[in-house]
Amino acid sequence: MGVTKEQVESSLNSKLNPSHIEVLDTSGGCGASFVVEIVSEQFEGKRLLERHRMVNAALEEEMKEIHALSVKKAVTPEQWKKLQESNQSNPAA
Amino acid sequence: MSFSCCVKPIPLHLHLHPTTTTTSCFNSHLSGTTTTSSLSLRPLVLTRNTSFNFHPKLLLKRSFNTIRCSALTPELKSTLDKVVTSNKIVLFMKGTKDFPQCGFSNTVVQILKSLNASFETINILENDLLRQGLKDYSNWPTFPQLYIDGEFFGGCDITVEAYKNGELQELVEKAMCS
Repeated sequence: MGVTKEQVESSLNSKLNPSHIEVLDTSGGCGASFVVEIVSEQFEGKRLLERHRMVNAALEEEMKEIHALSVKKAVTPEQWKKLQESNQSNPAA
Repeated sequence: MSFSCCVKPIPLHLHLHPTTTTTSCFNSHLSGTTTTSSLSLRPLVLTRNTSFNFHPKLLLKRSFNTIRCSALTPELKSTLDKVVTSNKIVLFMKGTKDFPQCGFSNTVVQILKSLNASFETINILENDLLRQGLKDYSNWPTFPQLYIDGEFFGGCDITVEAYKNGELQELVEKAMCS
């Protein structure tokens, strides 16, 4: 059956209120594999493990169908800004 | 119940598996509680892999942890407690250290090898109850699952990130020295 990119986005949007979100369906169509990049204030003061747990929890229903979920980034808006700046100053990185 | 059911399904293993070990497997089954509801479930085998997986002589000396359970029973929980605390670094993964059967599991194995970490791996593909039970135990939906010093460290993404920023190396070194 699988899950759609839109379902993943809408669950993450409603539960983590992200300021930036990028969901990539890497399943090749079956809807069982996603790469997620998410920026949210709710990650503030949380360790990476806790942030990933928050993403997992937000996608609890979807995870039943998802085989592979890769959280590439789970950062705060502040960290995101720094990442963007460092990417701009060093485009090759 | 056939004794062979508690043996890891690798042909090499079956030929070399000593009778004494089989007996101890069976005994540990007896010590577990078998209820009517668990009768239909396959026995659970936890095999601690050494890095010399396919050396016949070493294979004979290998020790086995055998337990029986359904999903995350109190028995499985206490066994997992023991497994993660009696080893500095444990990786629950798909496949083995020498034959990872998933890209994410392979990534973590390669990272740990590159850090010269000594670690145990447990192949969760061998038993679905272990696989399901671990998801609850770690409160983590996917594999691999890495434990360092008895604590859940994370999955593949977290391990990769901690490897990149040097945090993992620090933690691994600390664990190896403790």
